[in-house]
Amino acid sequence: MSELRQIAAVCLIAAGSLRERYTTALVIVVGMACVVGVLSSMLSVTAGLTHAYVRPEDATRAMVWRGERSTFDQARGLQPDAVGAILDAPGIAKGPDGTPLADAEFVMRIPPLAGFAAGSLQLRGIGPAGIALRPAFRIVTGHMFRAGARELVAGVGAARKFGLTVGSEVRLRDGPWPIVGIFSCGADIIESYLVGDAVNVMAARRRTGFAQVMAQLVDAGAFPEFQKWLMENPALSVYVERKTDYDLRELGVNTTFFTRMTYVIALIMALGALIGVVKIMYAAVRARTREIGTLRAIGFGATPVVVSVLAEAALLGAIGALLGAGIAWLIFDGRDMWVWGAFQLRVAPSLWALGLAWALVTSLLGGLLPALRAGQLPPVEALRVE
Amino acid sequence: MKFLPLVWASLWRNRMEATLTLLALSVGFALFGTMIAVNAAYEQAVDDARMDRLLVECAFDCGAIPLGYREQLARIRSVTAVGALSWLSGHEQDESHPITVTLVDEGMRAAWPELGLTPSDWRALDATPAGIFLTRKAAARRRVRSGDTVTLNLPPGSRADGGTTWYFTVLGFIPDPPGWGAGPGNPQWNPDMIVGNLRYLEESVDLDERGMVNIMRVAVDHPEHAEAVCREIEARFTNATPALYCVPAREDAQELADANINMRQISLGIGAAGLFMILFLCANGIAESVRERLAEFGVLKAIGYGDSRIAVLVLLEAAFPTLLAALIGSAVALGVSVFVAQLAIKGVVSMPEVRASLRAFGWALAAALFIALLSAVAPLFRLRRTDVAAVIAGRG
Repeated sequence: MSELRQIAAVCLIAAGSLRERYTTALVIVVGMACVVGVLSSMLSVTAGLTHAYVRPEDATRAMVWRGERSTFDQARGLQPDAVGAILDAPGIAKGPDGTPLADAEFVMRIPPLAGFAAGSLQLRGIGPAGIALRPAFRIVTGHMFRAGARELVAGVGAARKFGLTVGSEVRLRDGPWPIVGIFSCGADIIESYLVGDAVNVMAARRRTGFAQVMAQLVDAGAFPEFQKWLMENPALSVYVERKTDYDLRELGVNTTFFTRMTYVIALIMALGALIGVVKIMYAAVRARTREIGTLRAIGFGATPVVVSVLAEAALLGAIGALLGAGIAWLIFDGRDMWVWGAFQLRVAPSLWALGLAWALVTSLLGGLLPALRAGQLPPVEALRVE
Repeated sequence: MKFLPLVWASLWRNRMEATLTLLALSVGFALFGTMIAVNAAYEQAVDDARMDRLLVECAFDCGAIPLGYREQLARIRSVTAVGALSWLSGHEQDESHPITVTLVDEGMRAAWPELGLTPSDWRALDATPAGIFLTRKAAARRRVRSGDTVTLNLPPGSRADGGTTWYFTVLGFIPDPPGWGAGPGNPQWNPDMIVGNLRYLEESVDLDERGMVNIMRVAVDHPEHAEAVCREIEARFTNATPALYCVPAREDAQELADANINMRQISLGIGAAGLFMILFLCANGIAESVRERLAEFGVLKAIGYGDSRIAVLVLLEAAFPTLLAALIGSAVALGVSVFVAQLAIKGVVSMPEVRASLRAFGWALAAALFIALLSAVAPLFRLRRTDVAAVIAGRG
């Protein structure tokens, strides 16, 4: 019998005896489910945040903001003349009407309002190109704010978090502003904001400087020239960054520590599970001693025995991983969350794959010593075991 | 005591498996202990923030409020002190070494006594406006001594003289503050506390930026007056330019704990998952042990051991490794907690300092006993139904 067929036969025999050892097998399955469940659940936060911040279209976009800073840096910004110069930069895509697809934005924080949930509400003022730059932008209730009017629309995330509806009012410096619509934007992070006309909002804040300009470039290759043109312009003093890099940097502030913590926790849990696998697989080898002895006595080699123990550990680990990822998916996938903004948790396929790989490595490492021991069992002594 | 030899013999029957079980349980308890410590750190950080200290800032995100508000705030009823502060956040040698200096005025002597500056420290700060005091951690991380110079680099525009570097002289050290280290109300990306003199900032910035500060800290005579004073401040300044927003320091700390990825809530879920793993491993170990020793238990019953004595024996057998693992795991959790705190310091998001606590230790022991109890339930049911004669005869 070829070695491959021997391996298949021994694995089948081992699988058959699993029914008699199901309680011990369950320990590995549950252990791995816990490890992968925790790993997937925690990483679903970063996956959800990344999905909300980093959009596919960001690869061809750039962010521009004022490089020079004052001590109280919010007090200054990009003045309208600087914005005009930025819109003249090479590489910016043009809209159907021939105007540059770039928008100067204004961002401000509104203190928590009476009766609303805790947490800061943010307001983003956008210009005429702001909507064109967000093709997924849809008004789901009410209507869009009118240019020049003291009106705001709220993202679905902000509306949910702060209990805002059409007709709610938020107080800005110059008095109450009504919310006239609720919008969605394909789960973009802007759904966590109130949005209004940038010029109007800035007037209410008594500011003339914009916070940043978002520009749609003709393609990703246009960025170096766009950046060089702006950053070497001594009259501007601006920073320019690809939107993807800008988003990832912003995101890193919120997620770096959490992601590190996730992996530290998952490593500790995996260490516990690994020791558990070693223990359980040694017990499995002990329970299968006579079976192994018989197989060796009738001519089966050591390799198929070693492989069968490893395969059993891997199989149980994989079942546990799928169970853990499945439970995490059932409980967390698509659940709304708020971390400096609204987003949905995502137990993405990549997390299932990571969990499976994590469990397989742990199980195989844990099964290695018992497998080697099983392969070294002297057939005669193994047959004598009661 | 007479049970101990029996318990020891049964545990040590298979040394390797007993050791592996103990190791796995210890790792599980280390995780559980770490998560309890993380949870407790957040709660402690909120508790450390005082309700009778108010943080007053610009209501609409303008970033600065006039120093002139100080006197008006001080005249409000129940206010006992008002201090002003601003931050300079930049980097030292490169951008991977962020640094924030908190610049305070004299009013902070009374408005922020928890800062840890002694009267002589205040005198030194007054005599040397460019002087700074560092917390012990901040100093240890930078390996600085009294008299050393610490630099803070900012993009152009922060200094009236056109320079980009701020030079500070180390005057001394202050105790590490509890909770978030930098304290609530400070920039949340600030990993440690460095205190300087607001006058240095005032004398160095552009003329049009003088007389402005980031926030004011207001002390009130009683925590119960905090909310009312805050509302009074907001009402008085609602039509001012800029309008003011006020929040008690404890509420601000609570919001900080809830606004970021909520490790406090997550830690409990992870701890529970760790315990679930331990429970299965322990329950399996006890069930296996009892199944393999049915004849032994049959003999014990035959010589007069009642169900309750057998139950005590099995419970002790379950409790011994779990309690020992809880002890080992809690000790390991201390080290892991320190490591977790290091992660937070090196990262960008701040996290309250994680410390060993008796509570975490107590929770671990309680969890160990609970797991031992649950693990013993099924084997005990099995033993109660065991036919003594059958197991002794090898038919059970």
